[in-house]
Amino acid sequence: MAAAAFERRVLRRAAEHHYLRVRLELPDGGARPNAAQFKQLVVTALRELHGEVGAALPVDVLTYEEKTLSAILRVISSGLVKLWSALTLLGFYQNRRCAFRVLQVKPCGAGWLPPDVSSGSKLGRLPKPTAFS
Amino acid sequence: MLPAQLGRAPRHLLVCERSHARHPRSRHAAHVRDHAYSCRVSFLIPECGVLPEVVKSTIADIGDYYLVRSLPVHELVTHEFIDAFVKKGSCYALSYKTKIDQDNTAALLPNGKLILSVDKGTYEELGLQGRPSRYSGKKVMRYIITIDLTDAGFQPESKKHNRVLWALKEKKPLEFDFLLAWYNTGAEGSTLMSYFSKNQIQALKPKITFSTLRDLQCPVLQSNDLQGKPEESCSTEELFEWLGAVLNQVSLDNKSSSFLSTYCCPEPNTVVEKAFLCTITGFIIPEKIIQLLEQLCSYFSEPKLAYWLTLTVHGFADSPVSWRESEHGFHKGGENLYNFVIFRNLDYWLQMAVGAHDDCPP
Repeated sequence: MAAAAFERRVLRRAAEHHYLRVRLELPDGGARPNAAQFKQLVVTALRELHGEVGAALPVDVLTYEEKTLSAILRVISSGLVKLWSALTLLGFYQNRRCAFRVLQVKPCGAGWLPPDVSSGSKLGRLPKPTAFS
Repeated sequence: MLPAQLGRAPRHLLVCERSHARHPRSRHAAHVRDHAYSCRVSFLIPECGVLPEVVKSTIADIGDYYLVRSLPVHELVTHEFIDAFVKKGSCYALSYKTKIDQDNTAALLPNGKLILSVDKGTYEELGLQGRPSRYSGKKVMRYIITIDLTDAGFQPESKKHNRVLWALKEKKPLEFDFLLAWYNTGAEGSTLMSYFSKNQIQALKPKITFSTLRDLQCPVLQSNDLQGKPEESCSTEELFEWLGAVLNQVSLDNKSSSFLSTYCCPEPNTVVEKAFLCTITGFIIPEKIIQLLEQLCSYFSEPKLAYWLTLTVHGFADSPVSWRESEHGFHKGGENLYNFVIFRNLDYWLQMAVGAHDDCPP
C-alpha cells in the first residue's frame, strides 16, 4: 500500500461541547442526591438564574459518583458560561446549604485528567495530578 | 440575557495530522520529542485481551524518575551538573507543585535551556534578562527568563555564568521541589541519585494500571479520511470526544431520550468484545514514549483483529512550556495533550490539543 499523504487540519474553537468536573458540597449527614436528583438539581440551578430558557439548555451528566458527590457534566460550548454561573450561584439543596465546586473545565473530551486529581484547591484551579504522593 | 461574547467559549486549538509512521519525512517522533513534560500516558487496544510481551517489557522499563525536595536552582547551573548530566544526555527537570499562574516555576529542557517563569517582584530582584510573559495581560506581572546552559558564552568563570550564579545564589535564592529524569544512551556516568545524595532525593516509579473493557462500542475510522463521512466513518473530533469518555469510564449506551445523559458513541460504530486499556502516570520522558509508540506500531506486524489503536499523552497543566519552548499558561484548564491513532497499515493520525494560553502546536 502506498504511504499516506500528509494532511494537517487546524481546528480553532471547534469543540462542540465543554466538559466540567464538579463536586457538590453538602453539610454532613442528610440525604445525598442520586443521579437523577443530581441532574434535577443542575436543571433547577439553571432555571433559577436563567429562567425556562436556561433550564432547556442540554446538559449531560456523564458520570456521577454518589459517594463523593462528584460528576462530569457535558454542555454545549455556547452554554458553558450559563451553566457555570448557575452552578456557582446555587446555594440550597432541599433547604440545606450546598455549593458546587467546579474543579476542571475542558474543551475536549480527551482532555480530562484522571479523577485522582486532588480537589483541595480553590474553585476552578487545580494543582498538578497528585500521582506522586 | 447574557452578553453575546459570553456565549463564546475560550479559545482552544485542536491540530490533526495524518501521515504514515514509516514515511521518511514523518514528523511523529519529533512531535513527541518536542513535548518534554508528560504526566500521563494511556493506550487503548481494541480486540486485545493479553498484552504482547514486548509491549509489557517496554512498560516495565518506562523508567524511574526522581523527586528532589528544596533544591536550590543554582545547583542546576553549576558546571559539575551541566557536565555530568545536561551535556551527556537528555536531562529533564520540572518544579513540582508550582502553579504556573501564581507561583514561580522552573523547568530544564533536554536541550539545555533552563526556563524560569517568575512573577514581577522576583524578576526585578533577580536582575536577569528575560521577556514579559505573553499571557499576563496589559500590565505585565510575569516574566520568562531563558538561560542556555550549553551556550558557548556560559563557560565556568565567564561573566555570564558568574552573573547567573550570583543572581540565583545570593541576590534572590530560588528553590523548588524538582521532578528530575535523565536519559542517556552512552556509558554509565554518575547517577542523579548519587549526585543529589546530600539533598533529599526520592526515586519514584510510574504508577501503571491495566484494565480490560468488555463489549466496548468503538467508532469506525478510515485512515485516509480525517473528516469522516456520514454512514461511513467518524471524524477526528468525534474520536477525540469518544476517547475522553472511554478513559473516564463514561457509559456509552445512552438513549437519546435518557434524562441523565444523551451522550452515545458516534456513528457508525462496532462493538468489540474486549479492549485493553493501560494508563501510566508519572514523570514520563519523551524517549520512553517514542519506544512505546514503536512497540505499538510493531503490534501490527502480526495479523491482528484490531483495525487501530490509540496512544494518549497528557502534558503537565502547570508546565511553563508545551511544545518546544513555546510558552504555556493555565487559563481555565492548562491542557496540552496529544493523541496518536495508529492504524493497521501504520498510517497514523496525530491530534494535538492546547487551551487558551498556548501557541499553535508545531
